Formats: sequence, structure tokens, C-alpha cells
Amino acid sequence: MTRMFDTVLVANRGEIALRVIRTCDRLGVRSVAIHTDLDATAPHVRAATEAVRVGSYLDVDEVVAAAQSSGAQAVHPGYGFLSERAAFAQALEDAGIALVGPTAAVMEQMGRKDHAREVAVAAGVPVVPSYAVTDDPATFALPVLVKAAAGGGGKGMRVVRTVGEYADAVAAARREAQSSFGDDTLLVEKYVERGRHVEVQVLADHHGHVVHLFERDCSTQRRHQKVLEEAPAPTIDEAVRERITSAAVDLAREVGYRNAGTVEFLLDVDTDEAYFLEMNTRLQVEHPVTEAVVSTGSTGEGGSTGGSIDLVEHMLRVAAGEELALRQEDLQLRGHAIEARVYAEDSFHGFLPQAGRATLVRWPTTPRTRVDHALESGQQVSTSYDPMLGKVVAHGPTREAARQALLAALDDTAILGLTTNAGFLRALVASGEFRDTTIDTAWLDTAVVPEPEPDVARVFAAWTDAMLAADHGRPGPFRADGFRLAGERAPFLVHLDRTVRVHRDADGLGGTVDGVTVRQLLAERHVVRLDLDGRRHQAVVHADRHAVEVVHQGQRFVFERPDVALQHGPAAGAGTLTAPMPGTVLAVDVAEGDRVAEGARLGVLEAMKMEVALTAPFAGTVTTVGAPVGGRVALGEVLFEVEADDD
Amino acid sequence: MSSPGDLRSLVDDLRERTEAVRRGGSEAARRKHTDRGKLLVRDRVDALLDPGSPFLELSALAAYGMYGTGEDDLLAVPSASIVTGIGTIEGRLCVVVANDATVKGGTYYPMTVKKHLRAQEVARANRLPCVYLVDSGGAFLPMQDDVFPDREHFGRIFFNQANLSREGVAQIASVMGSCTAGGAYVPAMSDESVIVRDQGTIFLGGPPLVKAATGEEVTAEELGGGEVHARLSGVVDHLAEDDAHALAIVRSIVATLPAPELPTTAPVEEPTVDPEGLYDVVPTDTRTPYDVREVITRIVDGSRFAEFKQLYAETLVCGFAKIWGHDVGIVANNGILFAESARKGAHFIELCNQRRIPLVFLQNISGFMVGKEYENGGIARDGAKLVTAVACSVVPKFTVVIGGSFGAGNYGMCGRAYDPRFLWMWPNARISVMGGEQAASVLATVRRDGLERRGEEWSAQDEEEFKAPVRDQYEHQGSPYYSTARLWDDGVIDPVDTRRVLGMGLEAAAHAPVPDPSYGIFRM
Repeated sequence: MTRMFDTVLVANRGEIALRVIRTCDRLGVRSVAIHTDLDATAPHVRAATEAVRVGSYLDVDEVVAAAQSSGAQAVHPGYGFLSERAAFAQALEDAGIALVGPTAAVMEQMGRKDHAREVAVAAGVPVVPSYAVTDDPATFALPVLVKAAAGGGGKGMRVVRTVGEYADAVAAARREAQSSFGDDTLLVEKYVERGRHVEVQVLADHHGHVVHLFERDCSTQRRHQKVLEEAPAPTIDEAVRERITSAAVDLAREVGYRNAGTVEFLLDVDTDEAYFLEMNTRLQVEHPVTEAVVSTGSTGEGGSTGGSIDLVEHMLRVAAGEELALRQEDLQLRGHAIEARVYAEDSFHGFLPQAGRATLVRWPTTPRTRVDHALESGQQVSTSYDPMLGKVVAHGPTREAARQALLAALDDTAILGLTTNAGFLRALVASGEFRDTTIDTAWLDTAVVPEPEPDVARVFAAWTDAMLAADHGRPGPFRADGFRLAGERAPFLVHLDRTVRVHRDADGLGGTVDGVTVRQLLAERHVVRLDLDGRRHQAVVHADRHAVEVVHQGQRFVFERPDVALQHGPAAGAGTLTAPMPGTVLAVDVAEGDRVAEGARLGVLEAMKMEVALTAPFAGTVTTVGAPVGGRVALGEVLFEVEADDD
Repeated sequence: MSSPGDLRSLVDDLRERTEAVRRGGSEAARRKHTDRGKLLVRDRVDALLDPGSPFLELSALAAYGMYGTGEDDLLAVPSASIVTGIGTIEGRLCVVVANDATVKGGTYYPMTVKKHLRAQEVARANRLPCVYLVDSGGAFLPMQDDVFPDREHFGRIFFNQANLSREGVAQIASVMGSCTAGGAYVPAMSDESVIVRDQGTIFLGGPPLVKAATGEEVTAEELGGGEVHARLSGVVDHLAEDDAHALAIVRSIVATLPAPELPTTAPVEEPTVDPEGLYDVVPTDTRTPYDVREVITRIVDGSRFAEFKQLYAETLVCGFAKIWGHDVGIVANNGILFAESARKGAHFIELCNQRRIPLVFLQNISGFMVGKEYENGGIARDGAKLVTAVACSVVPKFTVVIGGSFGAGNYGMCGRAYDPRFLWMWPNARISVMGGEQAASVLATVRRDGLERRGEEWSAQDEEEFKAPVRDQYEHQGSPYYSTARLWDDGVIDPVDTRRVLGMGLEAAAHAPVPDPSYGIFRM
């Protein structure tokens, strides 16, 4: 019974599948990947011992069948997909295959918020205080939030800070709830003005052993999507730590938890009260920060990694029925770790998801950095799956050291071809707010992180483009070196979003870019390191016929070369639209004096069996309508005149 | 007169003069130009060429010291108000001809016409596409008799455009300012043309002339602006928003031209002897003898030179080498030309033609040997052989005047009249039919003979007073700056750039095929 599995199916994709497969490899366990057609050659498929095609990662029957057909004795679900699906856990139990996780029953119980809250209360774990609407507000721990039971989107919500406001707030919320949701049932609960997200990692076996592996702080989040995570939590003292870790262990015991789980708390910054939120019955995305800071031995500061913990290994061993090898008293914290999640999204422009080919990918190789990812150069990133591309985790003896290491790592991260949030992460990690741990869970929803300026990147683009022209352009006496007779060398004029003047010294290792003094320290395989006016910078640069792409401090800049074919601006007199052919006016959409937007349809002309839409060349006012509907017009006849708005 | 050892100071002087003409017109004219959103002419060229492209500018010092009203008015018409040269556009060599509107409105002086025609000749000989950046008010009217009517005058520009186009040498124009009267034919005669909106104008007669002729009042823009020619008249093919856009369109046009077929060349080796040493080994006084091999070794690949007839007729050094990987035959003076030197040279030139190897002449020649013995021996007969061989050569020829260029030596060593693809001068060079002292003596002797026939006396002091202005005239006119102002050459160059410039010339020449060699009668 306590024999390690020889084959484990990994019911996931991407970085987490690779991460589980790595541990399987180390333990000598055969790994079976599953994949959809889209992922047929994905990194996790190539890394696994074998792979089975499925129609969907979410299809319980198919995944169970894959486990059976491949002879797997266990399934590691990773996170997301089927990892918290009780029906999946049940199907595996029925098939006699071990799930590397809790039982279906526990999953079911903790998966429902109301049940989980009951378990917490039973275990003596603090939950967010709630009240009946009819209770005396004088007994409340103010402030409280009055909200519609059926609510959402802030409608029917009122924050009450004083007893006197309560009655009015309830009345207003009830009205809004009724009109918005047709249900005026209200809830009242404690309102945490400024909260931090703190969670405790627990691990339990079949034999009644439960340990915690300290906590993580994931307060830097955007609409409940975590962005930065760290361990240990930077703002709590030992008393709070003791409180939440023992609460988490109590909760796990109460529910008969097995395997790895995470108990999440909302920490009220103002009171240091911690309230149970929910329990995640799986491995978390951010588990590497725990692995980085929790050690088993008494190895001191900077000691060997022999005492490191591999959570996946412990999960597999527990699932195989082994007794937990960890004892609480041996576990200790060692330094600090911070994780940054790299997403395919445009963080500075509405966090829009991005897709495309990652033409060039460079993950950091800086010291004290761990990268879990599944993105390689040339890979297509689609919007079909989770937009997370990888995780960059930095470790240091102190939080500040870890933060600096993470900054260095993000500076060394470059993904070209599509936009990612790496530059945003870099700016966030560098911010005073993150440094000073003043970020609460709502901060990112309103804070504006300034978008990096393109100036340094433009210098890199121009310098590199000139270098490429000089080194790889035409050879011979007409080589690009700006040669002029009896005069100084001419600058390289690099035409980007604007024309940049690059002067290169004869040896090509120094010069100026628009007056900035440049010394080239390295230029190798797209990595360019320059000293600019005495400060060192590094960027990854890729130039082609149409654009120069630069990633500097994680941020991607694309400098497109001017395209002569681009539409010209409207010409003087271009406000006059004439008939391009003799024909009949089919439609007139405007009248004289109408205001029109650029591109607005003014009318339609039918001629030579074609219907030609006539559109406003720019925003303005219609001054002439030359022909009525049905009118026959000659070539060149004026149909509309638009007068441009004054700028 | 320069003294030995100061070639560097002559080069400094060259750089100063060049820098002065490169500024173009007066500061006020330049400001007026840029305030209109127009780029200065050399900035236009830089923006037209590939980033970092070298530019083999032709005759930057054209019209230097000409057309001025005062004695010191050297910069009356800098660069003859036109910039010409060879650079790369979309990776291929092109000839650029660009008016400088900051100099007398870019109008054509006699030297402007000559320089424009010379650029077209360079394009024709080397089959290089032409790009015209037009910004000119047309002929400089006060000098119309020296600009308009003759064979090599204004009309020849369009004659050349028609014939270059026929020969497949692309003609591309961008109208970036005025393009008036005859000038209107530059875009009209081009294969493909661009105009800048609200800036370029093309018309045969401008608004004042129209008003005078017909009474019609019309603005320049209505008469021949960008909108008119791009939408109505069809005189141009592309409408650009500004200078930068126009130049980008020109680049995109060049990108559509068929790629030239070029012969392969050997890997390039730098000279093993540092070219900077030229400053020290070359005496600036043309009368001081030195071994021309000191020059050759600093110009050729790997400093390797395979001499032909090294032991025979040592005053003319001939041999094979490579420059930037191109095979060349070098003919270099190492003293006065004797009959056997001329025969050796003719033989060597025939070899190069037979092998299709371009010729490089390093000219430093005071002339052919004179005297009864030599005349009676038929030095003119052997000189004629050399001149015939040079004149009939079909391979590209390049001439660098590295010292004196006097008398018939100029002919035998491929002077301007012998159609070298390019001819450059060093700043220490001298050029005239004979030396100033010799000319003064000859003229003085003729005069003394006449006086003595009439029984008159001519004192030594009178003779000296007679000779001095002759010497001064030859000194003045023998200067490389006098030469280059008049387009007797393609430019005065820093000796250290000789290798680079020859390489560029060879590269350009490689674009044109070499026909089979043939000659007239060699006088035996």
C-alpha cells in the first residue's frame, strides 16, 4: 500500500504539468501527459514519458479513460481544469485510481462557501462577522457592508461607518436591490476597509498528520487575479502568524483533509484580525514561494538546499499512502521569496489578453531565481487557455534582497512577438508601494502604474539597427560606416517612430544616439548591453524589415519603420466627394448641416453594377448634398462636400 | 608654396574648405528653408541613402572661388548649388543629384550645369540609377548665354534623361521645391516621380510669367502644386506629405529596380603598411623625387604589388594588385617619361584590356623627356603609342593626380580628356600645360628674341617683372582648387582616403559590362 506509484498521469498542461513531470522524473516515476490537438507538440507533451490525446482537458470521462489506458495508478491534477472538480475525484475513486489531492467528499464540502464557513466556525476559525439586518447596529463591529443577497457589481451595496447611517443605508440598499435584482433580501457583514490576502499552506496524510508550511501574502491582485505573491507575509507578526497557521491546521483536521491545501484569510490591515475566506483543495500557482522559504533542517542562512521541500513529491507520497515525512517542529522559514506571474496581456491598456507568436523568449538566468514556465521561442500563444506564460520567483535572505533579485530577473526577462505584463510587473515590483508593503487587495483596481517611457528602448532600437546595418549590411567600400570625403562620418539616420541620429565611432563600440553617449558592452544573440550616459542598461532587440522590437526592463516596445504605403492625410479639397463613375444615387444618408464623423457613410452610388459607399474623409459638417436619391450623375459631379472641423 | 612634410596641413585646409561649402547657403537662407519644413540638401541626401551609407560626393568644391564679386568671395555659389554623388539606396548604388535651394534658389550656373551633366555621365558609364531631388528655380538668368544654348548646356540634362532611360538606367525624381521652366522637364522626363504636397511645384511658366503672357492670375499651388500634378495633370506619380515621406517613397521605388549582376571579387585585405604613413612619405613639393611604390603599398590589398617589367624603363612603374578585392593594373609615374617608359606603359595597358582588368593611373608627371636625342629618337612616336593605348582602353580607368600633371604627361597618364571613370586630385597636386617657371622662361625667351631682333635691350629687372605675373598666373591656375572648381576632376581627396575612394569607383564601375578591346593604328 505504501509503495510509490510507478506511473502518474498529469491532468494539466503548461508550466504546472512540466513542474509535476520534473518531480516524477526525479523520483523515477513514469509520467503521462494529456493534450488536445492544439497542444500536440506542447512542451509538457515532449517532457512526459508518454502522452495521450484528449478532446478537452475538462472532460472527466476522457481523462479518467486516459489514466486507465496508460496504466497510471494516480492522477496529479495541477491547478485549474479538473483539480477542484469533486465529480472528477469521485470518478477516479470509482475507477480505483488515486487522486493526488483530497477525497471527493472533502472537495465537495470545501468547494461550497457556505459549507466551508460552517466547517471553519466548527473548527473555531474566525470568519468575517455577519449580522441579521434586524440586529441592533450598536452591537456591530463597524464598519459594516450592507449588500443585496442576490447582488453583484456594487449595486445595492452600502458601507456603514456609524450607527446613525444604518437605517438610511438599509433603506437605500433595499430599494436598489429590489429594482436591480427583484429581490430585496439584504446581508450585513463586517466591512474590511483595507485587507491583505494571506494564505496558509497545509499538508496532511492518511495517518492524521497535519502540518503547515507557513503563509504566503498575495495581496497584489487585480480583480481577484494574483499578480505578485510572497512568503512569508511581510506585514504580520509572530502572534498573527501563530494564529492563522494553527487555525489552518485546525481547519484541515476538522474536515479530515488529506494532501496539500491552502487556507485563505483576509487580514484586516487596521485591526490585524484575520478572517477565513476559503480553502483551496489543490496545489497553488504560487507554491514555489513556499518551497523557496520553508526548510526542514536546521541549515542556517544561505545553507544547503538539502532541506528544501518539494511539495509535489510530498503530495505524491501522501497520495501513495506514505506517512508524512515532515514534522512541524522541523519546519522553519529561511529568507524571503517573491513570485511574479507573467501573463500574455497588455497591462497598460486595459489588461487586454494578448495572443500571437512569441518569436523570441528569454527567461531570466539571474542568481537566486527560479522560473517555472512552458513558453519557448517560436511558440504560438492562443487565447484558448490560461494566459499565464510563466512564473518568475526570486529568493533572498531578506524581503528587500528578494525584491532586488526579482527586479534583476524581470530585467532579464524578454518575450518578443507579443505583449506581456513583464514590464508592468517590473514597474510594480519597483514601486514604492510594493517596497513599503502598503498594497492591499483593492489597490490595483484603482491605482495607475505609470507606463514606462520608450526613450531608453528607442536608443537601443536605433543603436542596434545602426550596428546591424554596419556589421551585416553591404560589405566592401560602400559598407555602412557613414564615410564622407574630407569630413566627419555622417550619422546613421534610423527611421523609427521618429528619425534617430546615431553616430558610431570607428570601432563601433561607442558613439551617440540623439546626443546620448553610448558605450556598447555586449551585443550577442539579440542581447544588447549599453552604457548610456554612464548608466548600464540591458535590452533584447530584434530588428526586421518592418520594425525594431525592444524589450527593456520587461517592457516590450515595437518601433515600426515608416510605411510609405500608409494612408495619406486628407488633402486640401479632399472634402469634396465626386462621382467616381457615371451612375445613380442609391442612398443619401445626410443632409446639409449634419455633423459627420470620419468614415461615416454619406451615401451610396450605383454604377457599373457596383455599389460605391461614399464616406466622410474626416470629421466635419456636410455643406453640400449634390444629388438626391435616384438622381443620375455624371463622372466627376459633386455629390457631397464636407467641411473639416477646426482643430 | 608648400614645404615638404606638411601634407597634413594641406589636408586640414581641404577639410576646412569642404566644411565651409557643405554648410550651403547663408544662415538666413538656410533658416528660411528649414522654417518651411524643408530639409537641407545634405540632410535630404542622408535621409535618402541607407542608414550609414557612405556617400562618394562628386566635386563638392565645384564653383569654389567662382562667380564672386569680391576677391575673397570663395563661397559665392557653394558646391555650385547642387550636390551630386554615389551612395546606396535599398542596398544598391545610385547616383544622387540634389539642388540646394539655399544657394541662389538652386538656380543653374554654368558649373551647376556641368556638374549635373557630369553626374549623369557617371550614371551612364557605370549604369547606376539616378535620383533627382529637385528644388531649383531653373537657369541663372544673368548667365543664360553660358547656361542655355550650347551642346553641353541645360538642354543636355533632358537629352541625357531620355537616353539614360532608353539604356535602362532608371530616372527617378522627387520634386521638393520649385521646378520651374526647363527644370519642369526633370520630373516629366523621369521614369517615376514624386512631389511633396504644398511644397513642390512644377510649371513651365511661373505665376508672374503667366500674368505677363495671358493676364491670368493664379497661385503657384493652383498652377502646378502637388495636388494638381498628382490628381489632375499626371505629371507626377506619387504625392508625399513632406520631405521625409517623399524620400521614403523614392526608396520604395528604388527597391523595385532589378538587382544588378556584379562580378565576384576576392576577399578584401587591408594594406599591411599603414596608409596614414602617406602623410610622411609624400613630399608636397612636386619637384622632390620619391619612390611611388611608397604610395602603391599603402593603397593595395595586403600591400601586395606584382610588378611588370620591374627592371625596364624604371620611370614608369606598372603592375597588378587588388584594391578592395578588385583586380587592378596600376600605372604610376616614378620620374619623367622616356620612349621606353611609354612603350612599357602601352604594353601594360594592352595586357589589362586583354584581361579586362581596370586601370589605375597614379599621376605625378612633369612631362616627356625633351631634347634633340629624344626627338630624333622618335619619342613622340612612342608617346603616341601610350596615348593611343590609354584613349582606346575599354576597361574602367581611374586617375589620381598625386603630384604634378603637366603637358603631354597628362595625356599619357589618362587626364580628364581621356575619360577616366573618375579623376581625383590630392591637395598637393599641380596641373597646367607646363610649370609656371618654364612658362615664364619660354614667354620671356620669345619676348627677348623679339626685342633683340629689333636691337632693343631687356634688363634683368624688366625680365623679372615680365616673368612674375606669368608665374603667378600658373601658380593660381595650377592649384587643385582652381581645377576642382571647374570640374576638371571629381574632387580633391585626402590621400589617406585614396584606397577607399578607388574601391568605391571600382565597385561602381563593376556595374557596367566591359566591351571587347580594339585600337586604332599604333605608330610603329
